Amino acid sequence: MLAVLPQLIVSGIATGMLYALIALSVTVGYRATTVVNFGHGDLVMAGAYATFVFVGSGLPFAPALILALASLFLFGVLTQRVFMQPIINGPHLSLAMMALAIGYAVRGGARLEWGSEVVILGRPYDQGAFMVGSVVLTMDDLVISGFVVALLLTLAIVFHITPIGRLIQAVFQSQRGAALVGLNVHAFHGMMWGAGAALGAAGGVLLGLLVPLSPDLGVYTLIRGFAAMTLGGFGSPFGAVVGGIVLGMMEKLLGFYVSTVFIDITAYLVTILVLLIRPSGLFGQRATVRI
Amino acid sequence: MAALLELTDVTVRFGGLVAVDGVSLTVSAGEICAVIGPNGAGKTTLFNAVSGNVAINGGRILFQGEEIHGLTPHQISTKGVRRTFQNGGLFPHLTALENVLVGLHARVDSDILGLLLGTSAAKRAESAATARARELLDLMDIGHVADHLASDLSGGQQRILEIVRALATEPPLLLLDEPAVGLAPHMRSQLVAIIRRLASERGIGILLIEHAIELVMSVADRVIVLNYGKKVADAPPAQVRADKAVLEAYLGHA
Repeated sequence: MLAVLPQLIVSGIATGMLYALIALSVTVGYRATTVVNFGHGDLVMAGAYATFVFVGSGLPFAPALILALASLFLFGVLTQRVFMQPIINGPHLSLAMMALAIGYAVRGGARLEWGSEVVILGRPYDQGAFMVGSVVLTMDDLVISGFVVALLLTLAIVFHITPIGRLIQAVFQSQRGAALVGLNVHAFHGMMWGAGAALGAAGGVLLGLLVPLSPDLGVYTLIRGFAAMTLGGFGSPFGAVVGGIVLGMMEKLLGFYVSTVFIDITAYLVTILVLLIRPSGLFGQRATVRI
Repeated sequence: MAALLELTDVTVRFGGLVAVDGVSLTVSAGEICAVIGPNGAGKTTLFNAVSGNVAINGGRILFQGEEIHGLTPHQISTKGVRRTFQNGGLFPHLTALENVLVGLHARVDSDILGLLLGTSAAKRAESAATARARELLDLMDIGHVADHLASDLSGGQQRILEIVRALATEPPLLLLDEPAVGLAPHMRSQLVAIIRRLASERGIGILLIEHAIELVMSVADRVIVLNYGKKVADAPPAQVRADKAVLEAYLGHA
């Protein structure tokens, strides 16, 4: 039984990378606007479908991916400016409902177009596997982990080292102070909502490498994203990433050693247990979230 | 001299409460105006109205002859009206230097792409901004804590830092909300010197709220007294000191 442990951990990390990306994408929008995007899963799904459409129109995979991410970024910016910003000072519940409604509308659009079809995005590389010692590394694991790690490193550098990152940190830390020095905080909200949508879309595309696309693709993922955020500490970007990776490993370990049922329910169990025992999660500062 | 800032009959209501009641005032370039008054007299609300943090219900606010009421805080800031808050305007987890740099960068939004791509022009601008920020921090005697997090500075240093950040872009008008609160006596006299120098050497118009009457009397060219949202005096310090209405506002009917 123990001989399988390294394999489970490696596969768990690869899956967890995907959850980490989704959790981080929700966190970006949340930190900027203090609104949790309950419709985020549908943007994840839309990212996968958009890539599928662009590939179908004859583009190679990489440009199709970039175009899809850019489209979702614009969609995020626009929906934030048009639907969220006008009510930004209203009750948080209205904002959360608005985000959810936008998500439902996107999902409705996908159902209208592809509702009864099975859609396969497919891989732009050959499916294969390598043996490292006794551990099997699939190409999927490598591509997903490599992509997410590269993305996270880029984001970390932008956030911590560049002047742009400093402006983003400034707005995260004090919106009043940011407006005071002449930063357009409203425009910033839109940009961050768009950035969150694009990151989520990237997660959707990675997911689409593994499973057939369906309009409900994002819902399944978003639960994992929320669980990862809760585990890592709601609102902490670092926590979101660590939470995602730990959740991925827990699913594999519990699924193998206890029961395969756990693959589907670990996210719920983690959410419940963390909220009961340590509501601020591993790296969180605030124990409660207004919605 | 043409007025830099001109308020005409400005009124701000919160529900039934009239926080600022038909106040008119002007601030000229290089002039230091102090706003004083008992707690709840409407001083901070008046500031918030000028900086765009609250909407006005009547009157108008002109800055350099241009209407600014109805603009957002960041637009007003970009036009050259900078302010400090009593608390909470700093970015606590950035260093003192970075706080000032953010203030400088906010001005160059057009070059955001350059900053992101690290073009050489953007790099030059960045190092020039850094040099300038360090120079300002040195000038205000907090250069030695430039690389400390803002939240680790003493209360007095945080105040000075807020002023430095507001000044970094050389705004024509500076609003200081109780700049001397929590300052040790030697820092206070330093602050007075700094405020004077900004007005006389750089021609910056300064509007400040302050409770420390001695500081107000020593630094201000003109003192405006508010009581229950109304302006009850507007005169040089010596004259205000002797004014009957002012004594009443502070001490009640004698």
